[in-house]
Amino acid sequence: MDRVKTGISRLDEMLGGGLLRETANLVEGAPGTGKTTLGMQFIYNGIVQENEPGLIITFEEFPKQYYHDANAFGWDFRELEKKGLLKVIMTSPEVSRLDIESVGGMIEGHIDRMGVRRVVVDSMSHFSRLTQDPVELRSLEFNFINALKREGLTSILTRESPVLLGESTEDSDIGFVVDSYLILRYVEIESAIRKALLVLKMRGSDHAKDIRQYEITEQGIEVQSRFEGQEGILSGSPRRMADSFVEAFVKK
Amino acid sequence: MALASTNGDDYTARLMDDMDPVLLDFVKTKVNSFVKWDLVRFFHENPHTTDTVENIAKYAGRNVTAVEPELEELVESGIMQKSLLGDTAVFSLETDEVMHALVDKFILACEDRHFRVKAVYHIIRGMR
Repeated sequence: MDRVKTGISRLDEMLGGGLLRETANLVEGAPGTGKTTLGMQFIYNGIVQENEPGLIITFEEFPKQYYHDANAFGWDFRELEKKGLLKVIMTSPEVSRLDIESVGGMIEGHIDRMGVRRVVVDSMSHFSRLTQDPVELRSLEFNFINALKREGLTSILTRESPVLLGESTEDSDIGFVVDSYLILRYVEIESAIRKALLVLKMRGSDHAKDIRQYEITEQGIEVQSRFEGQEGILSGSPRRMADSFVEAFVKK
Repeated sequence: MALASTNGDDYTARLMDDMDPVLLDFVKTKVNSFVKWDLVRFFHENPHTTDTVENIAKYAGRNVTAVEPELEELVESGIMQKSLLGDTAVFSLETDEVMHALVDKFILACEDRHFRVKAVYHIIRGMR
């Protein structure tokens, strides 16, 4: 199977070698969990390690902010743009949808001229402003994702989770539409906040099922070991497995 | 007294015209309003932005009715381009290298306080 490495070695291991080529991959998490950083890292590593030009399509954050944030990790996005290897495009879901569904649009033009192979869309949450109807929303997202695949792109699509700790209660069908689904979560353990990553789904491939810790370091996202001796990680407030055993059996 | 005032105005005008003639023309004929100045700065900082006038107005933190005619004038003067996606008009920075270089030159010049003072003078005079 043709894999597209994110360049984050332990994440690629979790994904069985990387994302599958020409697939749409959702990264969901609360603000500050590193969705955009993961996306930028995927694009940067694609350019410098795999010679695969990339696009970042942003619906909210100004490109100026990406250049600044990328610089903090030592990734010179302006220089990559000058070399024609990257474009950070600011637009809106309505315009990008019309554009990519049309023949000879702006995005298609960039893909053809630059030989783009990777794209990050930050974030898909903004599609919800196009319609209140969940059926129509799923259809809009489905068409947009299919258009990215039609262009031969491997995409990372971010989605905001409205809750800081614990599981999101927001209903969305996008998880059904995408090929893989990564969750980033804050977890409280012994009065400290840590970050947890899980590959929830990966269509057409085996993947790691365990929940890993990760950090945002000066080099970007760094995936670490799995959480040991804890359960209920995704609830945001895990308990020690021994405590839950006592609670379940001994106290009774 | 009136003569002195006229001479003073002439002196000020000469002082304010003391800049690169290319930039002087740019300020007098292309970026001749504060909204246009904001828009040119925004598109310089975020060069691959493509969007509707409503969304661009939001990005610029201004009213649509204030932004729309200014964007149209920037299209007429060759700084911006306008295209249609179906029935939707979208605006983006002109891709012409010469125009990009001119915008870069203007933004760079704006880092100098004296240039900014002169540019503001010409914009206000143009608004009279």
